[in-house]
This record gives sequence, C-alpha cells and structure tokens, in this order.
Amino acid sequence: MIASTLITGLGLGAMYGLLALGFHITYAVSKTVNFSQGASMMFGAVMGYTFSVTLGWPVLLAFPAALGCCAILGLAIEFFLVRPFVARGSEAWLMATVAGGIVLENMVLFTFGKEPRNLPSVLAQEPISLFGAGAYPLQIVIPVVGITIAFALTWLQRSTRAGQAMLATVQRPEAAQLVGVDTRAVIAIAFAISAVFAGIAGLLIAPLFNVSASMGTIFGIKAFAAAILGGISSAWGVMIAGLLYGCIEALTTAYLGSGYTQIVSFSLVILVLATVPNGLFGRAAVNKV
Amino acid sequence: MTTLWFRRRLDDALSSTVVSIAVIASITAGAMIAATQADGYLVFIIALVAINVIVAVGLNVLWGLSGQISFGHVGFFAIGAYTTAIAMNAGWSFWLALPAAGVLSALIGGLLAIPALRVSGPYLAMMTIAFAFIVENIAIEWRAVTGGQNGIAGFPSPELFGRMFFEMEMALLGCIVAGVSLLAYLFLSRGNWGQAMRAVQDSEVAAQSVGLAPLRIKTVAFVVSALLTGLAGAMFAPLQMFISPGSFPFFQSILFLLAVVVGGAGTLIGPVIGCLIVVLLPELLSGLAEYRLLFFGGLMLGVLLAAPRGIAGTFASLLAAEDPSTAVPSSRSLEDIVGVNNRGAPLVVEGIGISFGGVRAAHDVGFTAEPGKVTSVIGPNGAGKTTVLNMIGGYYRPDQGTIALDHNIAGRPAWAVSRAGIARTYQTTQLFEELSVIDNILIAGRRGKLGSILGALPDAAARQQAQDLLVFVGYGGPLARKAGALPHVDKRLVEIARALATRPQVLLLDEPAAGLGQTDKTALSVLLAQIAAAGIAVIVVEHDMGLVMGVSDKIVVLDAGTPICTGTPAQVRTDPGVRRAYLGDDTFTGRPRETAWSGERLAVLTTDKLGAGYGAAPVLSGVSISVDPGEMVALLGANGAGKSTMMRSISGLHRPVEGSVLLDNEDIGRSPAHTIAASGLALVPEGRQVFPEMTVRDNIRLGAYSRKDVDVEAEIEAQLRRFPRLAERADSRAGVLSGGEQQMLAIARGLIASPRIILLDEPSLGLAPAIVRELYDALADLRDEGVTILLVDQMAMLALDVADRAYVLDTGRVVGQGNTKDLQNDAGIEAAYLGSAAE
Amino acid sequence: MNLNTRYTLRHLAAREVIAAAGVMILSLLAPIQASAQETIKIGLIASLSGPSSKSGEAITRGMTLAIEEINAEGGVLGKPLELLRRDDENNPGKGLTAARELIQREKVAVLFGGLQTPVSLAIVPYVNQVKRPFMGPWAAGTPITQNGADPNFVFRVSAVDELVDVALVDRAVTVHGSKNPGLVLINNPWGESNERGLLAALESKGLPHAGIEKIEASDVDVVPQLTRLREAGADTLFMVANVGPSAQVMKSLERMDWNVPVVSHWGPAGGRFSELGGPRAETVEMIQTFTFSGTQTEKGEAVLAGLQNLFPEIETAADVTPAVGIANAYDAMHLTALAIENAGSTAGEAIREGYYAIESYDGLVKRYQQPFTPDNHDALGPDDYVFTNFVAGEIIPID
Repeated sequence: MIASTLITGLGLGAMYGLLALGFHITYAVSKTVNFSQGASMMFGAVMGYTFSVTLGWPVLLAFPAALGCCAILGLAIEFFLVRPFVARGSEAWLMATVAGGIVLENMVLFTFGKEPRNLPSVLAQEPISLFGAGAYPLQIVIPVVGITIAFALTWLQRSTRAGQAMLATVQRPEAAQLVGVDTRAVIAIAFAISAVFAGIAGLLIAPLFNVSASMGTIFGIKAFAAAILGGISSAWGVMIAGLLYGCIEALTTAYLGSGYTQIVSFSLVILVLATVPNGLFGRAAVNKV
Repeated sequence: MTTLWFRRRLDDALSSTVVSIAVIASITAGAMIAATQADGYLVFIIALVAINVIVAVGLNVLWGLSGQISFGHVGFFAIGAYTTAIAMNAGWSFWLALPAAGVLSALIGGLLAIPALRVSGPYLAMMTIAFAFIVENIAIEWRAVTGGQNGIAGFPSPELFGRMFFEMEMALLGCIVAGVSLLAYLFLSRGNWGQAMRAVQDSEVAAQSVGLAPLRIKTVAFVVSALLTGLAGAMFAPLQMFISPGSFPFFQSILFLLAVVVGGAGTLIGPVIGCLIVVLLPELLSGLAEYRLLFFGGLMLGVLLAAPRGIAGTFASLLAAEDPSTAVPSSRSLEDIVGVNNRGAPLVVEGIGISFGGVRAAHDVGFTAEPGKVTSVIGPNGAGKTTVLNMIGGYYRPDQGTIALDHNIAGRPAWAVSRAGIARTYQTTQLFEELSVIDNILIAGRRGKLGSILGALPDAAARQQAQDLLVFVGYGGPLARKAGALPHVDKRLVEIARALATRPQVLLLDEPAAGLGQTDKTALSVLLAQIAAAGIAVIVVEHDMGLVMGVSDKIVVLDAGTPICTGTPAQVRTDPGVRRAYLGDDTFTGRPRETAWSGERLAVLTTDKLGAGYGAAPVLSGVSISVDPGEMVALLGANGAGKSTMMRSISGLHRPVEGSVLLDNEDIGRSPAHTIAASGLALVPEGRQVFPEMTVRDNIRLGAYSRKDVDVEAEIEAQLRRFPRLAERADSRAGVLSGGEQQMLAIARGLIASPRIILLDEPSLGLAPAIVRELYDALADLRDEGVTILLVDQMAMLALDVADRAYVLDTGRVVGQGNTKDLQNDAGIEAAYLGSAAE
Repeated sequence: MNLNTRYTLRHLAAREVIAAAGVMILSLLAPIQASAQETIKIGLIASLSGPSSKSGEAITRGMTLAIEEINAEGGVLGKPLELLRRDDENNPGKGLTAARELIQREKVAVLFGGLQTPVSLAIVPYVNQVKRPFMGPWAAGTPITQNGADPNFVFRVSAVDELVDVALVDRAVTVHGSKNPGLVLINNPWGESNERGLLAALESKGLPHAGIEKIEASDVDVVPQLTRLREAGADTLFMVANVGPSAQVMKSLERMDWNVPVVSHWGPAGGRFSELGGPRAETVEMIQTFTFSGTQTEKGEAVLAGLQNLFPEIETAADVTPAVGIANAYDAMHLTALAIENAGSTAGEAIREGYYAIESYDGLVKRYQQPFTPDNHDALGPDDYVFTNFVAGEIIPID
C-alpha cells in the first residue's frame, strides 16, 4: 500500500512542483505571481489536445506548439494583467490575474467544449508493476521530468547568459540594467517560462486525468500552497515542497480517509508557516533600517 | 485661485464628520425606503448588497487601513452563517445567534491572526486561502452538525415583536447593520486606531519606534474584519433560508476583496460602490446566461485597469485640494514643548554585543548618555554604529549586555523601548508616508495608548503640541501635506518632531545630517543642542565630522564593533588610535596625472540642460556638463546636491529627465538603462551593487553581457590581473567579499564592457583608508591608460587630486567648474562645498 | 508613483460623496426590462458555466427542442413559449437569487432547474412560499419533491436517488452476489445524498459495507481510496460520480489490476466515458432512465432528428450527452405545457392542479399515465430504470 500510495503522491507532487516552479520564477524576478497558474496549465493541456487529437499533428510537433502557445499566454499575462498594476505600485494584479483566469477558462469552455476529453498517451495505457504496486509509466515519468526541470533550471541559470541575466535581475535589478540586462524583458520571459512550466504540467497530467476547461483551478491553488510551503524564493525548495505536498495528500487519503485530505494538508500549511514563516526552504531576509 | 478656494471649501465642508455621517445616514435611509417600496427581487438584492457592504467594510479595515490581504474571508462568512443556522435550529433566538456568530467569528479570526499576521504578502494570502478551504471541508465533513454537503434548511425565520423577518425585514436589518458598520468605520478610521493601522501599513518599523505594537494592531484589524464578516454571514443564512458548503465557494472571497479594490480601498464609501458593482453587475448580466462569468471577468479587468485606486479613490484624487495652513506656535516654553517630565536617569549601556550568522557585528559596547547632553557614536563604515543604535532601540535583541534607563530594557521589543522613553530616527527616513505631516506627529504623541477603538481623536491640546513641535524643528510647510510628498530636508525635520512627540528621555538619531546641505546642517546642529538643553539625552550616529565635533558633549568611537575611545571632541580628535582607525593617514593624497591632459575636445558625454526630480521636487535643473575622450572629470558637491541623481539620470536608471544626454552625439536621454549600458556607458553604482549570490568570476562575466564579439574568458583574466585581490577570490560568492573587494569587483564589472565612458558613483564610500588609497591608485592607472571617467566622490580633495577637470553642484545646479588645480586653490569653493567633506 | 495625485486622508469623504452619487445614478439607470411580449415565459436555472455546464447544456437542448415543437403547434393557451436561462454557478445562493429574479421580475409561469441538489433545495422553500411551480429535470435528491410543504409546488421528471440506490443494491446482490460492497462517491452533495440512500438500501437488505470513500473531481489518481476498499474486502463497488472522476476510478482499478464489478449511478453517461475511462470503462454497469442508443422507438428517432436539426454539432447518438438530461428536460417541458393548457392560465395554483390533471402523455422516456398525483410528484419511478453499459462508445441496455 505504501509503494502504491507514494507513486500516486510523487506523480501528483511533481505536478504541483512544476506549477510551483512557475510561481517561483516570476516571484523571484518581480515579486509578483500569476494567480491563475492553474488556467495556464489547463491552456497547455487544451492546446496539446487541440493540436495532437483534433488537428492530428504528431506529438513531437503538437506539444512544442502547445508550449509555445503557453509562452505567448505568459507574455500576455505579464503585459496586460501584471505590468500595468506594478507600474502604479498597485497590488491589484492579484485580482487581475484571477479575473484573467476566469476569462481564459470561460473562453476555453465555449471553444474547446464543455465535456472532459482524453489526451491519449502510450505511457498511460498499460500499467506496469513497480515495487509490487501497479503504476502507469507516466506516473514515474512525471517526477523524473519535474526533477529534471528543476535541475535544468538551476543549471541554465548558472551556466547560460540568459540564466545569468535572470539571476542578476533577481539579486540586483538595478545593477542588472547597468550591465545591459533588459530587466523588463527578463520579467516578461519569466512569466512566459512560468506558463510553459504550467503547460508541461498540464500535458503530463492530462493522459492520466483528462482535459477540460476547469481542470486547473484547484491544482493551481494547491501548487501555490506548495510554493509557499517551500519558501517561494528557492527553486529546489518549491519542487521538494511540491513532492512533499503530493505525498502528504496521498498518504492522508490512504491512511486517514479522503475526507481529511484537504483539512490535513491545508492545516499543515498553516502550521508550517506558523513555525517557519519563510517556508521550509526559504531564506529569511536580514532586516536593516 | 478662486476655483482652488472653492474646491477647498467644498472639500472641507464635505469631509467634515457631520457631513460624512449625514451621507451614511442618507444612503442607509434611501436603501431602507427602497426596500420597503420595491418588488421582492429588488428587496432581496438590496439585502444582498447590504450584507456584502458589511463584509467589505470589514475587509476595508483589514486591507484599506492595515494593509493586510485575506483571500479567506468567505471562511468567516460561512462560520457566521453556519453558527446562526445551527443555533436557530437548536432553538436559539436569532437575536442571540447573531451576536454569537459575530463573536465566534471574531474569536476564530483572533486565533488565525496569531500565526497569520507574523507573515505577509503571498504567505499571508496562502494562510487565508488554507483557512477558507479548511472551513469548507469541515462544513462538509462535520455532517452531524453542519448537514454536510446538502447543508442546513428549515431554520425558523427571525422574529421581532411578533413580526416575522422575511426578505424585506432582512433587507432593513441589513441596511441598518451596514449603516452602523460604515459609521464604525468612519470613527475608527479617523480616530487613533485608524491612524495607527495606517501607520503600521506604511512602516511597521517606524510604527514600533513610536510605541505602536504592529502585531497587536494588525490583530485588532483582523478581528474587526472577522467580526463584521461573521455578522454578515449570520444575516445571510436567514435571508437565504438554506445554506450549504456550495453557498460559500472560494471564489466568493475574491469577490469580497474585489468589491473593496474596485470601490477604493481605505475610503469610506468605496466598499458601498464596490458592492453595488460586484452584486449588481452579475444581476444586470444575468440574461447572458452561460456567458455571464466571461463578461464579468472581462469587465472587472477593465475597471481594475481604468481605476486602479478604485472608483472612490480615483474620484477623490481628482478632487483633491490640499489645505495650505501651516503650524501656528503657541507661547509655550521650549522646556514645556519638548522637555522631559522628570529629568531622570542617564541611559547606561553596558557590554552589549550581537552576532549575525557567526559574524560579530558589535561586541562589548558600553557608554553612558547623560540627560541634557549630546553623545555621538562615530566610526568608519561597518564599525557597527547603526547596529548599536538598533540594539538600544529594540530593533535587534543583543546577545549579551544591559541597556538601562532606570531598569534594564535590553531585548525588549522596539515598541516597548519606545514607550519606556527612547525615541529614534532612521538613516533613511521612515515617516508614515501616506499620513499627513500632522498625523505623523499626532499618532506618535499617543505613545501607543490609542484609547477606544471607535472615535478616540486627538484633542486640541495634542494638536497644539504637534504644531509647536513642528515649529520647533523648523518645519514650515502645510500640516495637511502627505509625508511622502515632502522634500528630503522636511522629512528629516518631521521625523525628529515625530520622535520628540513621544516625550522621550532619550533621542537616538541615525545620520540625521545625511543628504542635508550646509545651511540645513547648521540649523540641525542648533536644533540638536536645543533638544539636549531641554533635558533629553541625545545620541547621534553621524558621518559628518564637522557636525559631530561641533555639537557633541561626548564622543564614542567604534571600530570593528568595539569602542576604541570615549571622550570629549578634543580628546577624540587628538587620540592617535582614533586618527589611525578612523581618519586614516591624512597625508595621503591621490596621484595626479604626470602631464596635464591635452586631448581633443570631442565630448564623449554631454548633458544639455539636464533636469530631473522625484515627484514635485526638482533635484537637478539645467545641468550642462561634458566629458572628453580620455579625460577624467569629477563631479563634486555636498550631500544632497544631486550628484547621485545626475549619475542615475545619465545612466538611464532615473527616468524621465528633461534636457538631453548625448553619448557621442547620440541622444540617450530617453533610452532605458540597459540599452545605454549596451551602447557603451558603464555606471559603477553607489553601494557597489555586486550580485551577491554569484561568484566573482560570474559577476565580471555579466559585465560583458552586451559584448558579443570577444573572448570573454580572456577579458575576465585581464580584469583579474588588474585587481589581484579579486584573482585570489575569483570563485567566492561576491556577497562575502569585503567592501573594498566589492568595489574593485564593481569596477571590473564596468570595465569589462569596454565602455566609451565609465561613471563611478561614490567609490570610496565606507572603505578603510588603506583600501581607498589602493582604489585611487587603480583609478589613476585607468586614467593614465586613457579610460574616460566621470567620478563622483565624497572625498572631494582626493577626487580633485586625480581628476583633470571638475564641476561643482549645489542644489541641483552647476555652480562652479574648471581645472582641478584651480579648484583646489579656490578657497571659497572649498569652504562652501567641500568643507565638511574634506574634513 | 506620482505623489501629486495622492490625496490627503482628511479629505476623503468629500470626493467619495460625489463618486458615490455618480454610482448611485448609474445604478438607478440600470436597464429594467419591461417588454410586454405576448409569450409564456419558462425559466431555467442550471449550471451553464463551469464543470457541470455540459449537463446544463443538455437540459437547455431538451427544453429548446420541446418548446420548438410546442410553438410550431401554436404554443400554449395561444401564446408561444419563451425560455429564459440563468447560470447558478453551482451555488445555492446564486440559484435562489436567480429564482427570485425569474419569478418576480420576469414572471415566469414555471421554473425549471437545479442540477445540484443543494441548488434545488435552496429554491424549494421559496417557490412554495410564492406558489410557483418548480420542475426538476435533473437533481435527484429525495427531499426536493418530498419537502413537507402543503401545498407542494415542486415536480420532477428525473430519477430519485433513494430509488436508484435501492436498484443499485438489488443489482449488486442479485447479479454479482455481493456480500460486502464498497462505496466510491464523489465528494459533493450528489455523492452525499446517495451515501444516505445506499446505506439505507444496504441496511434494509441486512448487508454490511466495506467502506465509504470520497473522491474529488480533481483527483488524478484514486488508488489510495480504492486500496482502502480492497483491503477492507470489498467485492463490488457502488460508484456515484460524474464522468471525469468515474473515469479516474476505472483507470485506477486498471492500475491496481483489481477486477471488481462496478455498479454505477448514471454519472458516466454524461460524456465520453469510454474515451476517458480506458479499457475498463465498458465493464461498468450503470443505471439510466433513457438512452438514445440501441433499439430506438419512433419517438426517439424523431427527437434525435429534431435535435440534429436544431443543433448541427450533434452528428450521432453518441453526441447526445448526457441523454438523460435531454430526455428528462424534453418530457418535463411537454408535460409542463400540458399542465398549463389544463390550467387555462399561468396562475401558479392552477398550473399545479394542471399537472395532476394530465392523464397520459406519450413521452420520450416512456408513456406517462397520470404522471403526477398529490401524493407523488415524481413522474419517473423504479420501473423506468434500466441498467446499461458502454459498447463501442454507445450506451446499450444490458439484457
């Protein structure tokens, strides 16, 4: 039972982790997030379905195209829903991104359709046996992809010009401009990457789950919980917190019963923040006056 | 003029408390009359709006006044509704259930506030989201009590004097409660508590320094908002006659918040407008059926974009007219205005010390500050001066030692220290920027004692005291001006007045002269002496040695976190240890160019009538300078003359600017910083601004971000050869380097871009003398290699040594220019602008 | 931030007064529809947006087709019928508000509605108070029609959870010989209503149960819940959930390699269950009141043709989902038209009597004989339930 539960938890958790990475990356560069991250995830899955099933494109073309759409979505979110408010020093981007999510969700509802659809994948057809428990291969692939992306993100930031520009923007935005980094572009790109991560999560989870206009909302909220739990400032922190969050949900369901899952997991969020206000892996800022 | 006069009269008349009460009363009465006349559906909608207004007023206290966000208020709303429904089913009267629901909601709000308000921003948002989900799930799972998913129905209608409460009666009740809550908000927001909440929102640090306990005040705001939301929920249940978890979707929390934001957070009427929109708009759109949410979402976006301050806020700012009245002094004596009630014990600091992450910031610091005397704490940058001040002020808890003012206060929180009689100001002023000048003083005058939550207002005596203080410190501007809109000097003065308003025995001043011109510094010296004369123990941390030597009765010299000398100015001045540690070797001069510069006058960089400012106050006006290829030009001037703004304006960090900035005849005055950097202008910013989490090597590499055609690795090696200290630490994180190393790194990062001109902003700031010498040698080398340099430095004489030419700025204008040789001998310029800096 | 545009706190109220006045005027100018068309209005409150919107769409289609047919025959009482729809967002509060608007503002003759039982439960006391007939084409909660009010204005052409649950338990015992069934229920009001019904039905048979597990619409994987049931020795599963979560149950069973019979409420019929649920989907036995697939009556053929004509996106019978929603709404609308005709006016009391006066009607689900009596406001009963499963994407009755 434990093996099977952990497989469930890790698959789910890696998806939370990917969405949470999206929260992390925009928060790091701009102290803002897209509160409708769940809608971006849904958008990725819906576009993936549209390209690969409706239009019949090969997966290798369809999925990158879907992620490209996510990137454009991310840029649009930053440009229309975040930047105007940040420029005025307003925090209304919180509400604006929520409203944006509602608009997107409803637009998809009327174009994509109201019923959930299945995104087929060879990795989610025949279960395999793992540590005595059945598992769809995709359930193993998701955590692997999630951790790989967290690795890749760290590596890219350390080792590429663009990554360094991003780190520079995180650490000293003004100095970054002074060496020629267009920090506004970096922030816009961070939103694009954030949406792409969400899209990847959507494409990965869709074959196990389904594709529908409302699929992302609750995942987005739980992923935000994971991001906060991990201390939103740390890439690895949010990925690990995502995995933990998924496992806690699965274990609570398995051992206490599903009625307690949300009560336990959300109470845990409050408890953790009450004891470690910067999240599990977040770093406390040294306050100076 | 007449329109302004008229607007002000209108403004005054309408903003009076009486008119506000009349407005609330007429809105309430209007809604109630409508509720008795309209058809059932409209009555129901009026009731819904009223209930939403109650929630929105609560959220307005939380978000508008105290600045805390909550995405979980639907949880309190549900708690209120369920409490009423369950209690009434158990046979309680509605009139008992209603307050019970409010109280229970407030209690739970208080419990949640304990962990929630220790965090802020997205963390707080998440806590409240989690709370809402927990409430929802408990409502689902606790089936025996809540009826589970299928909810509770069949509770009796409320009854009063034999009259059953249906939608019309509920609407009337809702309007009354909404009206009362608006009144409560009016009194709360205008009273001491409301000001305290705004103060905490503006600056928690400053709030503590005037005796306000932020956690307590935020908790009160949270509890008030939970109470109102619970009451609203309690009325929602009998109105609906049925409740279930589905009646309280998470989305509702966002709608509540949206009502406040759209209406105008922190305004009185905003929540009413917001609720009208959030409740009525979906009803007007109901015919759209499945497209309703889509349109609603789109319209909300439109409103948010069009009226970012909310509708009431936007209207308000359009009509804004400031009351120009200034402070009127009374005839009270100085002693009476700022004097200490009982000229008490001295402040005795003994053996205090603190470490951060293993690094000892201060150690075994001790001194006594006598009442009526000025005690200065000086020392080179990084000596731990501000750290000591922060320990005394309660901002840091010392690891060891005692701080006694009658009794030991070491380790007490800042607000308690303030109440014990120790007031302070900050290096960068920490006023309550959204409050008016006079309100800044008035709230401080409360010393944390805020009185009744509703309506305790400062009395006439307090207002006179505040005006006397402002006159005393020399503030002559309007009392009603927002503190955030003040020019720098006034901010300093108002901050001192605010500190004095707490009637302190001890006044801590952290670099009060920073950013002041010479005239203002002189006035400040007089002010400090007067404050001391009134019986206050004044403790000053200050860089400006002229001021320190002139005003101090006693000086404590810190070096590397430890006192190395304590004595009178005369003793300190002559102490050899102090000279060595602090003033350095004063025979040191910069290395001038061997043969005078004689390049072509083909300016690389030209500014033409450059002007810039922050808000209303211009900092630069009509500044025209030029720098020729291979030349080194210094930009001099006292603190606050506009040197840094000049550097920021040239490099593109400060926008917009007037006039033009030409880089090789190309106008870069409108370009953003990153394109200017890419086109060959490198600024080494004040405070170095290295990327602390990256290695030295990566820092330098980023400097070449805009260069594509070069062997970057080879260039990095070249820079490491130039700065051998960096080569030793090439793979360390830049954050752990010393100040001097960071400065060299910042210069290397600028140089590797191979810029046409490099701008250096305060490179010697806070560096030990030995390091300054090394740095200036490196700058002289660069100059001799033919690098074009524009230099700003506090150490004006040193800058004049190395530079070829200089401009002198004062209050944003060029007041002198010429060859450095000539300027060095110009006594007038030295006295006026370099006097203190050349100390 | 531009400091000039900021305003002083002391002067807030003045400008707000003007702002408030502006908004008040605007809201007073809000359009008040006062069209005096000679139609009989029929209201519908359902989830038109969000996850349940497919079902809302089905009800809309069924009613629209029926109204088209009725209006083509000259309408009711000589006037055409007009459908007015409102979205309840699955929120009982919104549902009640919409009910008040439709009844008080729009003066609908009959109100249809309620997908989720709580939305209907929120509306029921109100319609009984204002004496306006309320017709339920979907929500199956027992207390909706058996609400204790007298007179009772709530009617229904749909399944009743209590009766469905009896049928589910019967099937499990008689066909699968179940001794220790497990319950897999969606965590929403519908699931909870059936939890009560199933437990009552099990108790009347003297059967124990292996456990009650809740699933969420957002559960990617329900293996933890199913594992608990397997370890408790469940030999049959009762499943009450919509298409998506039902599909998750089947995928998880496949993952666990657990061959257990699944007897289901009608949820999976709501969409592309065989596409979503993987290879196990076709093994589910689910209860239905109606299906467009399989052997079709003449009426069924006609309705399908009519639907295809009205809604070109419907190509085959498999696109008519959920069929029960369409069929129930279609029949309910025709029955309602008969009731209004019987009443001779749109007075609520008269229409209520008009429902009782319906003697027979040849409907899509069945041939109704005296569908409503003062003691029975449910037109459908246990005799109308049929067990079906998916065969090649179509819902086919099991012999």
